[in-house]
Amino acid sequence: MTDRDHCVIHVVDDDAAFRRSLVFLLESEDWQVRSHASAEAFLEACAAPPPDLGCLVLDIRMPGMSGLELQHALQARGWRVPIVFITGHGDVELAVQAMKRGAADFVEKPFKDQALLDAVAAAVRRGAQDRAQAVRRCEAAELLARLSPRERQVARLVALGSPNKIVARELGISEKTVHIHRQHVMAKTGVGSAAELARLMLRADPAALD
Amino acid sequence: MPASHPCTTLAGKLRRTLVAGLTLLLFAAPSLSADEAPARREVRIGVLAFLGAEAAVSEWSPLKRRLEAALPRYVFRLVELDHARMDAAARAGELDFVVTNPGHYVELESELGASRILTLDSGKGRSAAEALGSTVVARSDSRDLDTLADLRGRRVAIVGTEAFGGYQLVWRELAALGIDPARDLSALKVVGYPMDEVLAAVERGEADAGVVRACVLEGRPQWASRLRVVGRRSETDHPCATSTRLYPDWAIATLHHTPPELAKSLAIALLGMERGDEGMAWAVPADYQAVHDLFRELQIGPYAYLREPTLMVMAERYWPWVAAAAALVVLWILYTLRVEHMVHLRTAELRAALDARDVLERRMRDSQEQAEHLARLSVLGELSGTLAHELNQPLAAIGNYAQSLERRVDNHRLTDAAVREAAGEIAAQAERAAGIIGRIRSFARKRVAQRERVAPSELVREAVALFRGMLASAPEVSITDELPPDTTIEVDPLQIQQVLLNLLKNAWDATRELAPERRPLALRLARTDGTIRILLRDQGPGLDAAAQARLFEPFFTTKRDGLGLGLSICRRIAEAHGGRLTAEAPVEGPGMVFALSLPSHD
Repeated sequence: MTDRDHCVIHVVDDDAAFRRSLVFLLESEDWQVRSHASAEAFLEACAAPPPDLGCLVLDIRMPGMSGLELQHALQARGWRVPIVFITGHGDVELAVQAMKRGAADFVEKPFKDQALLDAVAAAVRRGAQDRAQAVRRCEAAELLARLSPRERQVARLVALGSPNKIVARELGISEKTVHIHRQHVMAKTGVGSAAELARLMLRADPAALD
Repeated sequence: MPASHPCTTLAGKLRRTLVAGLTLLLFAAPSLSADEAPARREVRIGVLAFLGAEAAVSEWSPLKRRLEAALPRYVFRLVELDHARMDAAARAGELDFVVTNPGHYVELESELGASRILTLDSGKGRSAAEALGSTVVARSDSRDLDTLADLRGRRVAIVGTEAFGGYQLVWRELAALGIDPARDLSALKVVGYPMDEVLAAVERGEADAGVVRACVLEGRPQWASRLRVVGRRSETDHPCATSTRLYPDWAIATLHHTPPELAKSLAIALLGMERGDEGMAWAVPADYQAVHDLFRELQIGPYAYLREPTLMVMAERYWPWVAAAAALVVLWILYTLRVEHMVHLRTAELRAALDARDVLERRMRDSQEQAEHLARLSVLGELSGTLAHELNQPLAAIGNYAQSLERRVDNHRLTDAAVREAAGEIAAQAERAAGIIGRIRSFARKRVAQRERVAPSELVREAVALFRGMLASAPEVSITDELPPDTTIEVDPLQIQQVLLNLLKNAWDATRELAPERRPLALRLARTDGTIRILLRDQGPGLDAAAQARLFEPFFTTKRDGLGLGLSICRRIAEAHGGRLTAEAPVEGPGMVFALSLPSHD
């Protein structure tokens, strides 16, 4: 699977034996795995979000910085990384907190291997989607950034489906001038129609046409 | 003025000087005679009735006549009394003067402070100082009864043991012969006054001999022919037959309350009596030393105290003291008895209490073992959540490895290396789980305490390992070992471990919700003299004074689900090891310091 070739799962658990068993399990399904003995060790190893970060598998209770605390810390640094929490018996409250803060999923120990593997796969997928969406938005924003202010005004009205005559009236310019601006917008963004232009603008900013 | 009669020159001189002095005194105090009271004062004179009341009155009537003639300011009254009554009357202050025999006088002198002012001068050729004697009489026809020594074993009649002339004079003579009347006479018959009774008793043969005053017999011609005198002494100056030495005659004496001027007037009046006129004369007071000698020898009268103190005599003389002493003795006996009783009671109580304590101790030992067991279970109970988590770790790991192997078989990706790795891990984790279960079982098992010599640092390390092994997220526990190497203590390791585990768990409970930097615990092992101290410091919120004071009470707990037995049992364990368990706030910073002190054994 392509996914698993360039995705790394990071496992953080203070219990060495259990950590090793998690690695062994994930490797059975071809995941690439890196393990860390504590939250602090993880932060030390990954100062910036690794580009190949698939997801995090975190023990919710750990001496020193706990899993929950690591989640806070990463959010504070602006990381968008899916986290699968592993909880003990009776840690449901903590798990709920973690989910409210945007965790991908949690599995309660002892767990079926499939449950963890499914949760990890889903988290990685979600992470990839998030990442792809972010890439597309960035690309759209970059294209739109090439437009001049007037071109941007024209582009917004065109995207809303306004004919040149209406645009000219709205902006108080000649219809001929609108036509020229419209050609420039299409050329700069590489779109061929008003509908395409609208999709591009919404991708860059979902509120662009409000 | 006194009549001239045979007497010693000295006595005569003395008498004349005295009378002159008294007369001078009387007239030198004219105010006394001038102050004549309108009502005549009555003067009561007690006379000893030794022959019977009537005889006394007739005998002493010249005295009364003389006094009334000489001292018209007074009315004189003669009161005839026997020994006992005279004593009582004198003591009661009813008499102004007493006229009595020498023996009785000496007694009154010593007992009531009587003071003789004159001695009767009976005349008839007798001197006042040698006037009285006693005569022992027997029937004329009696045989083998010639001297006083012959009285031994005989019956002797007397008027009374108190009688001076009627008994005591003879007694002295008998005593001089080594005869104790009470012991050596076959009978001492007391016939009572008048003395004629004695003569009659002898005459009738009721007694072998009798004692009368000298001159009594001579005055009774009807008896004189039928009776004879026993042990007659030759007393040249004495007109009557006597069996004893002679003694001064009767005395007239004042009592301590008698007015001195009355005494003086009376003495002067009596000294002026002429035998020719009134048949009675008085002389200056005689020397009563002979009477004293008699009493002293017989140890009677004022000398009765010389008598060998028999219990009765002592009891009579000192009865208040005896009574007091007896009372004290009785009290002491009662006290002793009471003390004995109390001791007995207390001993019984003590024994019962000791027995009860033994029973209680046995029961407590049993129940303490129960409680310890319970406490261990309760610690386990409190730890159960974490214990479950702890067991989950190896079990989950084992599960992961097993499932992974299956998965890899399905994927056709199973390698020998993977199998070896998984199998090794599974075995190790199974062992780990077994270890946890074993520790729980040995900790929860009922057991009898046993002492072992162990190194405290080893014990502490094991306890910390056990503690951390039980907890998934055990706090850091630093151990500072300041003990000299080879330090050992003799303890029940499991019990001490239980104490340490309890302390660690309490510390963890106090800090587990706090910020991470306040969670680490610090253990310190130190030694002062013969004591090993294991100190556990946490950085929790600490305890207020009230909680600190009650910390070691059974069933005191600050935890929601605590039993409150842990620390009370811990302290008991510490004390059972001759040690202590204390808690105090640290010198600096938050939290508490629990100190387990144990005596070292090296």
